Parts: sequence; C-alpha cells; structure tokens
Amino acid sequence: MSPVNLEGYLNNVGITPSRWPTEGGFNIWSNTFPAEELPARGSIVDVGGVAFIFPAMGPGGEDNLRCRGQRLNVPVGEYDWIYLLAAAERRTEDAIALLYTDSTVRRQWLRVSDFWPETPARFGEVEAYRCSRMLYPRHSQANMAPVIWRCRVPVSVGEPVEAIGLPDNPAIHIFAVTLVGQS
Amino acid sequence: MRLVLSGIRSWRHDLTHCLHTTFGVLLGFHGLDPLHVLGSGWGFAYRMGDVRREEYYFPCLDGSLLASLAPHHQVASRWHQPSDAIQGWAQVRAAVAAGQPVAVAADNFHLPFRPAFGDVHTNHLMTVYGFDDEAALVWVADPVPPAFNGPITVGELTAARDSGNPIRHDRDMFFTANPIANRWITVEVAAAQPALDVGFVREVLLANVSGFLDRGESGQTLRGLEGLRQFLSLVPDEPERVDEIFIVAGAILAITGLHADFLADAGRRLGLVSLVELGRMVDRVAHHWTALRIGVANARSTPLADLPLLRERGRRLLADQEAVLDSMARVGGRL
Repeated sequence: MSPVNLEGYLNNVGITPSRWPTEGGFNIWSNTFPAEELPARGSIVDVGGVAFIFPAMGPGGEDNLRCRGQRLNVPVGEYDWIYLLAAAERRTEDAIALLYTDSTVRRQWLRVSDFWPETPARFGEVEAYRCSRMLYPRHSQANMAPVIWRCRVPVSVGEPVEAIGLPDNPAIHIFAVTLVGQS
Repeated sequence: MRLVLSGIRSWRHDLTHCLHTTFGVLLGFHGLDPLHVLGSGWGFAYRMGDVRREEYYFPCLDGSLLASLAPHHQVASRWHQPSDAIQGWAQVRAAVAAGQPVAVAADNFHLPFRPAFGDVHTNHLMTVYGFDDEAALVWVADPVPPAFNGPITVGELTAARDSGNPIRHDRDMFFTANPIANRWITVEVAAAQPALDVGFVREVLLANVSGFLDRGESGQTLRGLEGLRQFLSLVPDEPERVDEIFIVAGAILAITGLHADFLADAGRRLGLVSLVELGRMVDRVAHHWTALRIGVANARSTPLADLPLLRERGRRLLADQEAVLDSMARVGGRL
C-alpha cells in the first residue's frame, strides 16, 4: 500500500477553521469543510482498510488538489487499485492517464460524486467523512452536511506505474491518493 | 381561515436546481411522475443574451417555462406579475384557497430555512401550498438542500417575494441584482400522463434526435446540435460572457442529467438494456457539462488563460453528444 504525498500539488483551500470570515473556497460559493470535524493535517488515516495521508497544509492553507491536468508522480510499482479521498462540485467523471515506466499510457475512468449535502453517492463510493455542518464565509450552517468520498480506480494492466495524469476537470477535488497492489 | 393542501411531496434530482424541484413538487401534486415529465425532453435552444439572473432561468423559445421543460407532455405554466406585495400575497392565497399549490420567486436572504438567510441575496423558486390567516403562517416546500417543508410567517415570505435582490457583497454571484417583484407561477395540466411504453419512448427518442439534428443556428437564436456548437465556441474570451455561459450551462446540465435518468428508468421498467446504456451515454454528456460549468465559473478571474482548456472540453462534449445522438437514432429506430 503506497500513500502518495500530495504536498507539492495542493492548490485549493477546502478545509478551514470555524473563524469568520473564512479564507477558503472549496467551491465557487466559497463553502468549506470545518477543520474541527476532519483528521489532523498530515496524519495517517484509515478509511475502510486503506491508509491515506490526510493532506498537510500548503503555504497558502491549501489542502486539496483541484484537477487541472497535473502529472502526479507516484512510487513506482505494480498496482491493482488507485484509492482516492475526493469530492466534486456536482458529480462528474473523466479519464485519468496511467503513465508506465516503459512510456506506455493507459486510461481509466475516475468518477466522483457531489460533496453537496443530501446528495447520495452516484458511483458507489464509500462515505469517508461526513461533516455535521458546512462553513459559509460568514457563518456555519448546521443542517448542511458535506461529504468527502473514498473513490477507487482499477489498474487493469499490472506493470510498473510511475505517474498519474489527472484530467483538466476543475469540478474534481482530490484530498489524498493511495495505490494498492497485491504485494 | 386555515388550509394546508395535502399531496405535497418533496422531489429532487441531484443535477437540477430550484426550477426542477419546484415543478417536480407541483407535478407530483397533480399525480404526474416528475422524472417522466421533466426528463423525457432533451434538446438545446438559446437566444443569445436572453439569460436572466435567476436560479430558475431556463431558455424558453417554444412556449411557457414548464412547456419548454416538458415538450412531450400536455403541461404549461404561467407567470403572474402582481403590482405590489399586497396583491402578490392576495393572489397566491386565493390560488391556494382554490386548491392549487403554486410556485413563488423568493430571495433567500429573507427565508429563515435557507443558508443565505441574512447573508446573501439570490433569486430562488419554491412551492406555496397552505396558509393560516389567524397565525399569519404560510406553508412552503423547498427540496433544495437543506430541504424544508413547513410553515414560515407571511411576513417572511412577503419580504422574500418583495425583495429588490440587491448586490450586497462579493459572494453575490450570478443571481442578484434582479428584483423578485412578487412574481409567481401556476401550472396547467391539460392531459393525463401518457403510459411509459415502448411507443412513447420511441417517439421521445426520435423527436429529441430530430430536434438536435434538424434545427440549426439562425442569427441570435441557437438551436440543436449546430446551435450547441456555436454556443460552445463562445466559451468566455471576455469576462462578461462568464455569467451567461455559467447560467445556461446549469440549465442544460440539469435537463441532460434528468434525461439520462429518464432513459435508465424507462429501460429498467421496460426491460430494455439498450435504453439503460443510452442513459449512461447521456450521463457522460452531463458530466462534461459539470466540468464546463465549473471551469467557466473559475475562469472569472483568468478567462484567457483558461480558454484553450475550456474549448477542449467543449470539443469533447460535442463529440460525446454526437455519439449519443447516433446511438439514440439507432435504438429509437429499432424499438
């Protein structure tokens, strides 16, 4: 199991402390997840038997990666699954590119459900973290319960992977990535 | 007098917004299946510059708001524009007293159950279905999260309906600066819902395909696949275009998501896997709209930098749209 350190890739502030005005914006309306209800930054967390590095904080408070076509380097290895902690601004899907050490590229589908309250998983994801409230720039909304999902993507060809090419889909936010193989 | 109409049930589809949830509640009251009625139509029609700063905006080129959303059903809606707040409440109260729930436009800033309460202004839509004159209460249904179904005061509703919907601070994007003006909507159902059988689905599929392929762009009016191609070529190379594309994209995302689930539901009920697969293809188009809509919104600050990637998204959306229309024509022709 290989948790990926996303520290150099974080580009969005989606988690903020309950102090107003908040200084983040997971979505275009500047809503954020309450930091008090989520794991400590940089800690190792277990979600359904998969270990993730819960994101540390970037220099500007960044805590997640909004997909803008980045190349995400991963520990070279043969994997079966890519697990992600992720959430989307309305559900969406896109192809990711698996970059192998022999320079081949193979595509797989990444599907992520909406983080919005009262909205079920569309793609069979596991509910990783359901907060009891959502933060707005100037208040906390008790009956709005946003969610971070645990998603997974199959790796169909078991050869050494060295990187993941993410889609340019700014609706998708990734908090953590762990690759899992048999060994 | 106190009257609370029965038969009001919450209804929501995750890719829609207050326009569809409100009509869903009203259609359900009339005994119609909201997914069947709101999800069977799928097309594209837009007159450039028509967009309004309303959460419930939908391009209406062929009839009323509800008729535009539900072209395969005998339903329609009518906007009412009272002269002031007093007349606005009197008209809505009279309609409910006559047994008819209605939709009202409202500014969330004044609605205590909305997260925007006392914070930001916006132009929202919800159902009114009861009142208590003595207690000065009015019953409203709003399935948009956080879903609410119950009474608020007449004073709160009146303030929300009579609001000037002003811009208050930087979070008031897209749906402000458009006075609510006490407007409200009635729904008319002229015929029973047609049975969901193979004949109906075939008719729907072929009519939708025809709407996409037979109509082109004409001046400022964009229709069908060619109109969609023209619309997507406009992705914002100028900041003022951002709001227009964002709002229209939200409307098309909603009907695309609804149509995907309509096809999937029809396929399951009729035992036709081809319809379920078709629904999955339409869902993929909806997911492009999600990406495009959020991409456009994020391009507010850097439109030129994001332009190449937004245009690439538009090209991919069109390619998948064309593929699904090919399949739709083939499946429809074989039913």
